[in-house]
Parts: sequence; structure tokens; C-alpha cells
Amino acid sequence: MAVFLRATNRSLLRYVNPEKSLMLMARPVTMKVVEAPRKPIEDYDKFNTNLGRPLSPHLTIYKPQLTSFLSITHRGAGMALGGYLSIVGLGAIVLPSSIEQYIDALQGTGWFTHFILKMSIALPLCYHYINGIRHLSWDMGQLLTLKQVYSSGYVVLAASIISAFLLSL
Amino acid sequence: MAGELQLFRLCRNVLGQVRNYHSTANLCAAAAAAAPAQKPKLMKKVEVYRWNPDQPEKKPYVQTYEIDLNDCNPMVLDALIKIKNEIDTTLTFRRSCREGICGSCAMNINGTNTLACISHMDRDVNKPLKIYPLPHMYVIKDLVPDMSNFYKQYTSIKPYLQRKNEPVAGKEQYVQSERDRSKLDGLYECILCACCSTSCPSYWWNGDKYLGPAVLMQGLNPGKAIAEIKKMLSGIAKKETPDIEPMSLHK
Repeated sequence: MAVFLRATNRSLLRYVNPEKSLMLMARPVTMKVVEAPRKPIEDYDKFNTNLGRPLSPHLTIYKPQLTSFLSITHRGAGMALGGYLSIVGLGAIVLPSSIEQYIDALQGTGWFTHFILKMSIALPLCYHYINGIRHLSWDMGQLLTLKQVYSSGYVVLAASIISAFLLSL
Repeated sequence: MAGELQLFRLCRNVLGQVRNYHSTANLCAAAAAAAPAQKPKLMKKVEVYRWNPDQPEKKPYVQTYEIDLNDCNPMVLDALIKIKNEIDTTLTFRRSCREGICGSCAMNINGTNTLACISHMDRDVNKPLKIYPLPHMYVIKDLVPDMSNFYKQYTSIKPYLQRKNEPVAGKEQYVQSERDRSKLDGLYECILCACCSTSCPSYWWNGDKYLGPAVLMQGLNPGKAIAEIKKMLSGIAKKETPDIEPMSLHK
């Protein structure tokens, strides 16, 4: 239709005086594709908070899984070991008597206290050590299927608890 | 004879259609007759996160719906569509392909991020079905998060094959052996649903700086991809030379 109009318009224009003609006012319209103007990129957080959008819930709703549990406990165990080291180091500087005296003082306490104290050092140590091997195997590109990640996780958990138990006896 | 055969061939399909029509009619009648002996109702609670931008004073809340599992298709997306169609039209969520290839319906279902269209509903009625948007994302409405940062990060990595010396396009083809082509398998099938990135605490706390597993890895096993990159960075592994030089036709 548009082509027809344009063609007739043009052929008719040949015979009329362009200055007096109404034909010129009835020109056919042509459509053109124009790219939409781009909005300036705004800061993502600012943009959303200005709109009052809430953050969706995360830690509180996410299901506890073996993978996430082992990941966070690996960090926790590392921090615990670092903490022990600094406490012993600071203790050696600050405390008045030598370490032998404190160990002698501990001799007086019961078997159960010994076990708990040993366990609190042995468990993070064993776990961090054995899970560290698992991490190194990951760095070598091994044990990275979902099934292997889970089975190695259970193995690490069992091995670290058993070895820590044996060390604490 | 030939004419008759042709006529028969023409009519055969018609007859088949008529037969089909009649048999489905019979089936429908049989189904209608059996209607009184319908399955009992199996009402399941569905708890859905809601937030409406038109009522900003109202804090996000969890709304509980009840649907009959015996009158609903098996997937979580089916339940959401049923709720939207029959109970509450204001419920808002993204969905498109309903077969796990578009990634639109990514959400947190019963505590883990997954696609609603490919996760089955548990038929245990005692446990409610819990549905939240993808974690730690700005919510546009109900189950629809703002993914613009995720997409921006994806754009930033230029996720396509690049060459140092780009030849004039369209002159010659790049050549590739079948084995070389197979090296790409598993590296680009990611549908960018953002399930892995938005389940990652590092991405939660540092989403503005950290690109997240989906954007970084572009594969179906981000952990494995990280390991391979680490191996190459440390020099333990080296990039294989291709069987055929891809640019050989360009010289």
C-alpha cells in the first residue's frame, strides 16, 4: 500500500505545481528503526535501595548441607588453631610461671577433663589437616564431581573424628 | 485399479482420523463415567515469599496457599502456575520454557536454589513446600529478583572465543578437528540461571567485586573449571596445541 501510494504520489506530482498542490502535504510516512536511548548506568546497590527493594533472605533460609558445613568448619578449625597458637605464645610472654608448672597443675584434674582439653586441640588439628589434603586434591583437579565431593567429605569427617578420639585417649 | 488404490490411500487417513475421534470420544465418556471415583484430595501447603513494590510500607512476608496435589501436575512450577491461575493472580514469578533450559524460574525451593520447572514436589503433605526468591538479591516483586548486576558481570568477561589477531570476518573459515571441537563440550552449556552464584556466601557478601561461579566459570562444574584454570596458571598443566591450526586457511 505504502509503495503504491508513494508511486502514485510521485507520478501525480509531475503534473501539478508543487507550490500550490495539496499533494505535498499528504506525503506518505516511512518508518525507521531507531535504537532506544540508553539509560545511564547507575550504581546497582544505590539504584535498588533507592527503589526500596528488600534483599531476599539468604543465611536464614538456606538448607544446611554437608558441603557448606565442611567449608565453614574448615575455616573455623583454622581460626581455632591460630587462636590456640596466639594464646600459647602470648601466655609464654605474659604469664608469670613456666609452662611446666601449668602442665603439672593439669595433672591433678580428672581423666574426663584431660580428654576434653585434648579433644579441643586434636579435633580442629586433625580435621583441618585431613580436610586440607582434600582441598589440595581439589587444587589438582581431582575429586570434583558432586558424588566425590560428598563421599570424600564423609571420609574426612569420619577420619578426623576417629583420629582425634585416638589422640585424646 | 491404480485410481482405486489412490482413492484408498487418500481415504485411509481420513478413516483413521474418524476412528481416532470416535475412540477419544469413548475414552472421554468412560472418564466421565468414572468421575465419581476420583482420587481423594491431597492438600499441600505452599509457603511463598511475597513482597509488593506498590505497598513499600508492608514488609516482605510469607503467604501460605493450599493446593490439591491430585489436581496438579508434579513440578513446583506447576503448583505456582496453579496458584496464579486459580487462587491468587497477584503472585509474581518468572518462567518460560518449563523444561529446564531457559533458567528463568530459578528460585530457592525448600532451602536450595534450583529451577522450579524441574524439581518435583514432595507428596508428603505434612511438610510444607517453601519457596523463596534467589538468596541475597534485590527483590523486584515476590519471586522476581533484579539480575542486572549478574548480567553486567557476565558482559564484563567477554564470554566468547577471542583471537589476538582477528582476521577479516567472512573471508575464510576457521578449521577444527572433531577432537578439538569436543574440548569445548561442558564449557558453555551453562544456562545462566544464577542458582550457583546466588548460593555462594562469597557472592552474597561481595557481589559487587566478586564475579561469582556462574560468570567466572561458564561450565557445569565451576569447581572443576577453577581447578583447571589454577593448574594452567601455576604451570602444572599446559594448553594443548590444536590438532589443526584453526587459522591455517587464513594464511
